[in-house]
Amino acid sequence: MKRRIAIFVLLVVCTGMLAGCWSKKELTDLAFIIAVGLDKTKDGKYLASFQVVNPGNVAGATQRGGGAAGVPVSIYASTGDSLVEASRKASQKLSRLPYYAHTNLVVIGEEVAREGLDGVFDALERNNQFRTTARLVIAHGHSAQDVLTVLTPVDKISANQIIKTLEFSEMAWGQTMNVDVWQVIRDLSSPGRNPVVTGVKIEGNPTRGKRQTNVQSSVPDARVSLDGLALFKNGRLVKWVNGPTARGVVWVLDRIKQTNVTIPWNGKQEAIGFRTVRAKTDVEAEFKGGRPSISVHIGAEGDISEVLTMVHLNDPAVLLRLEKELDRHIENEVKQAIVSAQRVRTDVFGFGDAVHRAAPRLWKKIQNEWHDRYFPELDVTVTADIYIRRTGLRNKPYMEK
Amino acid sequence: MEPIQINIRQLFVLIVLFEHGSAIVIPLGVSAKQDVWIAILLGLALGLLVFSVYGRLFRCYPDQPLVGYIQHIVGAPLGKLLGIVYVTYFLYIAARVLRDFGELLLTFAYPETPLFVLNAIMALVVMYGAYKGLEVLARTGELFLAMLYVMALAGFVLVFVSGVMDLSQLEPVLEEGWGRVWKTVFTETLYVPFGEMIVFTMLFPYVNNPAKVSRAAVIGMALTGLNLAVIAAINMIVLGPDGASRSSFPLLDTIRRIQVAHFFERLDVLFMIALIIGGFFKISIFFYAGVVGAAHLFGISKHQRIVYPLGLLVLLLSIAIASNYAEHIYEGLKIVTFYLHIPLQIIIPVLLLVIAAIRRRFGPSTK
Amino acid sequence: MLFQWGMRQQKKRMDVKQEGSDYSGEASDVPQEPLSAELAVNIDIIRQKTGESSDVIIRRFALGQKWQIKAAIIFVDGLVDEKNVYEFVLTPLLQASFPLALEEKERFQWIEKKLAAVGGVKHISDWGKLFFELFSGATVMLIDGTPFAVSASTKGGEYRSIEEPQTQIAVRGPREGFTESLRANTAMIRRRIRNPNLWLETMQIGTVTQTDVAIMYIKGIVNDGIVKEVRERLRRIDIDSVLESGYIEQLIEDQTFTTFPTTYHTERPDIVAANLLEGRVAVFVEGTPFVLLAPAVFIQFFQAVEDYYARFDIATALRFLRVLIFFISLVAPAIYIAATTFHQEMIPTQLVIAIAAQREAVPFPGFVEALVMEVTFEILREAGVRLPRAVGQAVSIVGALVIGQAAVEAGFVSSAMVIVVSITAIASFATPSFAIAISARLIRFGLMFLAAMFGFYGIMMGILAMILHLCSLRSFGVPYMSPLAPFIPSNAGDTLFRVPTWMFRERPRLINQKNIVRQSGDQKPEPPAPSRQEKGDGA
Repeated sequence: MKRRIAIFVLLVVCTGMLAGCWSKKELTDLAFIIAVGLDKTKDGKYLASFQVVNPGNVAGATQRGGGAAGVPVSIYASTGDSLVEASRKASQKLSRLPYYAHTNLVVIGEEVAREGLDGVFDALERNNQFRTTARLVIAHGHSAQDVLTVLTPVDKISANQIIKTLEFSEMAWGQTMNVDVWQVIRDLSSPGRNPVVTGVKIEGNPTRGKRQTNVQSSVPDARVSLDGLALFKNGRLVKWVNGPTARGVVWVLDRIKQTNVTIPWNGKQEAIGFRTVRAKTDVEAEFKGGRPSISVHIGAEGDISEVLTMVHLNDPAVLLRLEKELDRHIENEVKQAIVSAQRVRTDVFGFGDAVHRAAPRLWKKIQNEWHDRYFPELDVTVTADIYIRRTGLRNKPYMEK
Repeated sequence: MEPIQINIRQLFVLIVLFEHGSAIVIPLGVSAKQDVWIAILLGLALGLLVFSVYGRLFRCYPDQPLVGYIQHIVGAPLGKLLGIVYVTYFLYIAARVLRDFGELLLTFAYPETPLFVLNAIMALVVMYGAYKGLEVLARTGELFLAMLYVMALAGFVLVFVSGVMDLSQLEPVLEEGWGRVWKTVFTETLYVPFGEMIVFTMLFPYVNNPAKVSRAAVIGMALTGLNLAVIAAINMIVLGPDGASRSSFPLLDTIRRIQVAHFFERLDVLFMIALIIGGFFKISIFFYAGVVGAAHLFGISKHQRIVYPLGLLVLLLSIAIASNYAEHIYEGLKIVTFYLHIPLQIIIPVLLLVIAAIRRRFGPSTK
Repeated sequence: MLFQWGMRQQKKRMDVKQEGSDYSGEASDVPQEPLSAELAVNIDIIRQKTGESSDVIIRRFALGQKWQIKAAIIFVDGLVDEKNVYEFVLTPLLQASFPLALEEKERFQWIEKKLAAVGGVKHISDWGKLFFELFSGATVMLIDGTPFAVSASTKGGEYRSIEEPQTQIAVRGPREGFTESLRANTAMIRRRIRNPNLWLETMQIGTVTQTDVAIMYIKGIVNDGIVKEVRERLRRIDIDSVLESGYIEQLIEDQTFTTFPTTYHTERPDIVAANLLEGRVAVFVEGTPFVLLAPAVFIQFFQAVEDYYARFDIATALRFLRVLIFFISLVAPAIYIAATTFHQEMIPTQLVIAIAAQREAVPFPGFVEALVMEVTFEILREAGVRLPRAVGQAVSIVGALVIGQAAVEAGFVSSAMVIVVSITAIASFATPSFAIAISARLIRFGLMFLAAMFGFYGIMMGILAMILHLCSLRSFGVPYMSPLAPFIPSNAGDTLFRVPTWMFRERPRLINQKNIVRQSGDQKPEPPAPSRQEKGDGA
């Protein structure tokens, strides 16, 4: 008995002594990197920018005054042949340990995106701190570093501003998509699908956007806003799409939650607005004579949101005709999106995956040539079924005729 | 043999916890890609077949553990040797699972901590549990099984609500035909976890109702098989065949995809709890079987006396068996499967049963 | 009748003690020889042995028609009801004519007859018994020429009256709590369970104090094995004094090296009655309002008495709350330490930044901060418990400064830490049983250390070890975690859940093994069946 206790105590003591708290990280020793930006330098190296939160200056967390004085984030940049190298180098400038578990945003500079995303994400995915639920955006026409340096007024941390904009814009408007790193990696690794990523741009003057004065004015000198969708092919950015075409892409990908569609009526352009409340898209592969074709079916329901012309909304027959018009309108939007993707020979819709699921053997044969040979000539039928459920609080507009 | 007894429910609980063990956290059978659930179910079916051999052996010798009746069947010298082989096997697998456990923990949460320290803490608790004995382990199991199920249910609901499930990821079914599935069954899922039921042949004599042992074990295995198949399928549905097969811990990735209401996210700790509970019971049962086996072979009346030395041995073994994780996994998939699992889980028990049957028929008496 | 039965038991017990061991122990200077026939000698011995203590009153008087027989009554002032002594002991004797010619035996019978108005008249022939009776509140009578004494029970004196219990307060439920008087306490149970099967065994424990200790159980419900075990364990006790039931608790519990209580103590008679009806054994100790109940199981410490008086849905919700509370008071600071020093990835981004901002100015590592705050709180609590009520106010004011805004503003601690400490504190107050709250307090510090060394892994391993330990505990042979582990479905209705009262069909199985069924099975209340006319209307 005594010996057993002795062994036990010895073990406990040993482990206790050895336990130097290796993985311990005090909060005050961590630099919370909230966003990572990635650009290329002239000599072909990566330029990584790290947006680090300055906790003492974030509103709501200012416990002992002094909050408003400083900026909530600061940017550290460093260059390297790889992301890991650049991030390790950044520690020469950071007084704290870079901590990636709260990196919620990755911004890729347009230049990097055009050269290819291959090899960018491996370090992120492998790292045990970094979470692949981080959002991904492409800086449209700017460097990623510029995007990260802009200070924002409402959400003090600009990365949060971009993330929230992404989230709510997808929910309310549907021309951009809230894509995270994990989805992009999945699309990159799948032969039947290419990634689509939302772009961000800076409105205004990027150099003045870095200053504290930017957030002290009701109209900031520089703002970050979402702008279009970037279509990728073989990991390279090949095309930007905007407006209704972008929404067409989102429709096919079944990511529309709410949006507003305006249709002409009585010969008047943009006369009636329709707000979707629920939408569902089904993509199915069909085969005619051994050749695949795709049918896209969109079902959506919603309300009338705006009427700028005279129309009797309490007449079911009128509503039926309106629904027909909406069907046509949305079908066109979607077709347009498909055509523009076909033009650059990149299947961002996952049609290839649908073919793969439906006919795995056929897919084996065609998967290598899918994007270049089969997809551009793919026969896609688009059908939409829109239901107007309610017409809002009024059944007739106040302006007669 | 010590006068300890567990009831049928407790046996069932131990089997379920043991079978889940590390199988829920490691990428089990992912080489079958989206057909992993079929591979697991087939593994279960064959596992049940293999188990029927253990069940039959137990019915012949209801008051003897494996290392006991092995001596009856093949005679004392050879039987003793085989008994030692089995005890070593149990302890070695305990060390392997301990190593797995430490490596997982190290990779995903404690990259700077030495493996030895993480393993040592676990080994201490395992030794404590084994010291307290099977009854205490079984009671603890009853509490933790409930907890594990509550957590699994919560996790499932959260994954579902997060909207990250895409059922089409399970298609196409049997893309490469049955070949890939059978290959997975015969190289992975049959032995881990189902073939590992061999360890329970050491514990069956402690059950107070021998008549129902086989039934409890079969139901336990079936339940586990279904659970594992569901979990593997959910991993596939969430991560996709590619994502799941590239991941070191598919379940962790699945849990990391959970994002509900900006609050239920970053739930990695759920994974850690599952890992610790599963790991603990798997290691404990292998270890306990090894300890009582050794006690039985060497005529030690109280197994408590060898818990600490053998525990230290397992701890040191877990560090020494491989120099890196890749080597450890390679050994696990190639060497252990062919040189340990197949002979010890299948060939020897089948031979034992055949010899026992022959003796029973032709010999005057097996006793 | 009951009383006499109790006395008989006591007598038996005493005999056993005297035969078996050096029962007189340190008080062994009580003369072993029988009483003398001479009154003066006897009184001298009493005087000498009690050191002429002023509260030992010796009143001499004379008996017989010519007052020729000297006699004396001896009692201890304060232990007896003096009115009884004079009215019912002294007066009858003085009024009667004492027959001289009686034999020894007949003399006793004569006295007994005369003293019919008081109970417990006993024949005493040795000194040990005499002193025991004397200090138990009896009046002892000595008569010259008679080699024995007669004692009559005149117990009385001042006791604390029955008050509302201080420790286990219920909004709904009886208001009376136990007092320091063993007899009053047992009577409270008698009043609740009016059944001859409620048995009481009394014995004296404590070689110096000779404290009355009583075991109470319901014959036919209780598991006789457990009664035997309790009796055996009490009998084994050899200690000079028993001043509180805590002495007994520590001497009879199954395992000393555990922070968890393996006997239950209460000062509420309704709890004792309920537990007796479940088949437990109660141990009463003279001089304390705390009654021990054995065997105790873990879940019992989460069962507040009101659970059974309130409706089942509310009771169930409160049970869950209490288990949650226990868990919080166990791990809250440990989780804070683990989350802020190891697993920052687990905290939502906004929150981690907020906490980081608060910690910016705090000079201590998270663990030290948590430890300092927890220890401070424990100091405050201890101060609050022990201080006289008048000073309590001051403590709470100072406490609010130490664990509060002032500490935060001084930059010693972060406000998140203050919140964690406060939640932990409230949680540990809210645990219904003080005994289990205290063990959570101890384990909490252990878990904090583990969390500081290994983060959540440490906490999990700590909890795993704790649960292994809990599962290995037994209380008088009953597994501590039952009926959860081993799981007993028919008893699980009174664990985390509290099923409706009509579903409480069975008593706990492990505690009582024979008389399991508690009530009939078809008691679900339902509205009366609609009359025929109503049915007709409905159709």
